[in-house]
Amino acid sequence: MLGLGIESTAHTFSCAIIEKNGKKGKILSDIRKIYRPDEGEGIHPREASRHHIENSSTVLSECLQESNISIKDLDIISYAAGPGLGPCLRVGAVVARSLSSFYKIPIYPVNHAIGHIELGKLLTGASNPLVLLVSGGHTMLLAFLNKQWRVFGETLDITLGQLLDQFGRSIGFASPCGKNIEELANSSSNYVTLPYSVKGNDVSFSGLLSATKSVAAKSKVDACYSLQETAFAMISEAVERALSFTRKKELMIVGGVAANKRLSEMLKDVCTRHGCKFFVVPLRYAGDCGSQICWTGLLESQIKPGVSLKDTFVTQSWRLDSVKVDY
Amino acid sequence: MKLIKKGAEADLYQTKWENSKAILKIRKIKKYRNSSLDSKIRKQRTIKESQMLSLVKSYGIPAPLVYFVNLKKTSILMQEIPGKPVHDLSDSKIIELSKEIGKLVGTLHKNGIMHGDLTTSNFILFQKTVFVIDFGLSQISIKPEDHAVDLRLIKEILNSAHAKIMQPSWKNFLNGYKSIVGQAYYTKITKLVSDIESRGRYAQVV
Repeated sequence: MLGLGIESTAHTFSCAIIEKNGKKGKILSDIRKIYRPDEGEGIHPREASRHHIENSSTVLSECLQESNISIKDLDIISYAAGPGLGPCLRVGAVVARSLSSFYKIPIYPVNHAIGHIELGKLLTGASNPLVLLVSGGHTMLLAFLNKQWRVFGETLDITLGQLLDQFGRSIGFASPCGKNIEELANSSSNYVTLPYSVKGNDVSFSGLLSATKSVAAKSKVDACYSLQETAFAMISEAVERALSFTRKKELMIVGGVAANKRLSEMLKDVCTRHGCKFFVVPLRYAGDCGSQICWTGLLESQIKPGVSLKDTFVTQSWRLDSVKVDY
Repeated sequence: MKLIKKGAEADLYQTKWENSKAILKIRKIKKYRNSSLDSKIRKQRTIKESQMLSLVKSYGIPAPLVYFVNLKKTSILMQEIPGKPVHDLSDSKIIELSKEIGKLVGTLHKNGIMHGDLTTSNFILFQKTVFVIDFGLSQISIKPEDHAVDLRLIKEILNSAHAKIMQPSWKNFLNGYKSIVGQAYYTKITKLVSDIESRGRYAQVV
């Protein structure tokens, strides 16, 4: 089974081709172009969608070339239908619809967040994990129960990715800022007390963001260090609570912030204490990519024939706990 | 001393205090946390929990008796409640007890206390009485928003861990809650719960 997946929910436009054999999947190609805003600025939805439109055909042809596959060989096409930025989502959907109607290939709308989880499971081999999804769009703790991913904890306001990005931009970095903050944080060990807000299994970051901005006025490195220590300790505690409540024996971390080494280090320690296995999605596939969409589409195709063109929607707010998973 | 549970923030040991069975709850050092942040959190929560356990008893909330507090070791020695967490009971029993849990939460809120960690593991059924435990995240608060955060958490837990019986349990919980706090406050808090939910990521927007 050959699938093409198209991702365009936020700053990344990506196409990927995966060959599926039973439960195994082999990524034949995964090409991306990432929209970069100016320093100190965030994603401008219109500019990002323009970037996606300009790059869509190059990315698609590179993807086909690298995998040595012709469009006619494809069995299915899937695209990220949400959640994400409306103008960006539409680009991926238009590309997918055009290919599907012209070449008569079944089409599958896919939930972007489910994509992160399914690709993570494929690449790490986790079987029944508690999932920590940390990215610009999500900060959620999930476990699978009765055919749906259920939320055991989440952020009550902004996400971990937004916290890092919004703080990073305030000190002059361009989104995504996680890497820059991690580098600065490594050169300090001076902890400044910041608000620590864990509410049961949930976390809240908005107060922490404001407080860190005022610390940055005195020292940027101390601010970066203290921000990471506080925010990641909050996440780790929420993970511990969810682990002890669900009694899961596996933890899998996916999403863009999974690339942060300090966060992984903390979570590894949590896992040791609770005697559970720790899985991190490989760095290259932590962030948004076509593979996550492609693989989820391929899984869907085991039980569904694809949808008709009039049902190929995009939805900016599409919570993953509303998706029925039957495969 | 026998280790009986490694909880999220503390280890629980079974031990004795003056010939009666007791639980020693130790908040151990977490290596992953920055040490000054870690000791602050452990100390604060030990103080908070021991104070709150004593306070809530005066409002008629069944909770373990505190025998001894050791701030240096951030440990609390308390009465053992040898029952079963509501989380582990049968679905029909959880539905039935939800009303009682609602009443207990209502009583806490009425007396200006938010629990902060309302999960079904933190209620223990022992000889027909539901006990409330784990007050580490509790706060003295009369703010309706804080009380709504409490309700949202238990709703989230019912919706995830007990998804099959979410509807009847939540209904019973709310009925129990309403019977204590009264119609007016109940309406106010449930409205706030929807407000908090709508602030969540990708909540249904018009």
